[in-house]
Amino acid sequence: MNDEALEARSAEAAGERIPRHAAVDRAFHWIVAVSVLTLLATSLLPVAGVKFSWVTIHWVTGIVLIAAVLFHIVRALFWQKPRCMAVRGRDVKAAMRGAATGKYSLAQKLMHHALGVIVLVAIGTGIAMLAKVDTPFWERDPYLLSSGTWGIVYVLHGLAALLAVTLVMIHVYFGLRPENRGYLRAMVRGWMTREEALAKHEHVEHWTKVGARR
Amino acid sequence: MEFFRVSRDAWGQETLEGISWDLLPVAIAIGVAVIVAHAIYRAIRGNRGSRK
Repeated sequence: MNDEALEARSAEAAGERIPRHAAVDRAFHWIVAVSVLTLLATSLLPVAGVKFSWVTIHWVTGIVLIAAVLFHIVRALFWQKPRCMAVRGRDVKAAMRGAATGKYSLAQKLMHHALGVIVLVAIGTGIAMLAKVDTPFWERDPYLLSSGTWGIVYVLHGLAALLAVTLVMIHVYFGLRPENRGYLRAMVRGWMTREEALAKHEHVEHWTKVGARR
Repeated sequence: MEFFRVSRDAWGQETLEGISWDLLPVAIAIGVAVIVAHAIYRAIRGNRGSRK
């Protein structure tokens, strides 16, 4: 094969689409993104002085987030391979080389775990706080917990919100970085090019074996 | 700067109300600091962060 043909084949291989996220996983990501932004806006804008009736939007969006997170936990445990999100020594070594050894880089795994813990704390405390809200399904019971315990619930919920602000800012920034454009496209359209994948990952073929089984 | 919001109940006892919202600008500032630091780091380092 001559040089031109080799170059053409190489260019074609570089542009090959590597599937990364199934449609249902992308939908989950964007539903959670919109939910978290709505929850942060409805809770923190009034703190900043923008007054409006935020409580109903906030708890209804919280229910949406709870449903999405439950879906993700079940799907990740039974339809996907949770170990692809496990942080291992080789992830740290690969990060020092500026690469990822698996489907997700060390930074992506750490961000997932940090946001996961924060969202679960917010959900757990938020579920408790639902008892203080009058809804079509139940009457409020502000005496469910003692005032001291409510204080701890509110502190944890507020702390989760503040940490979410910081991490969401960082997550959006890295998602918009030019060198991460492939990841952003993958979360919208489901794929990144082989060239983009190999720029960051040492192995890409096993993505179709580890992770989403479509 | 306060870390917690505290009030007194009907019996005069201190009651924890929640986290202090004075910390909201701190949370935003930390996010901005990380973003600016990384942007400067990448601008100086260029594309050497990618695999060859």
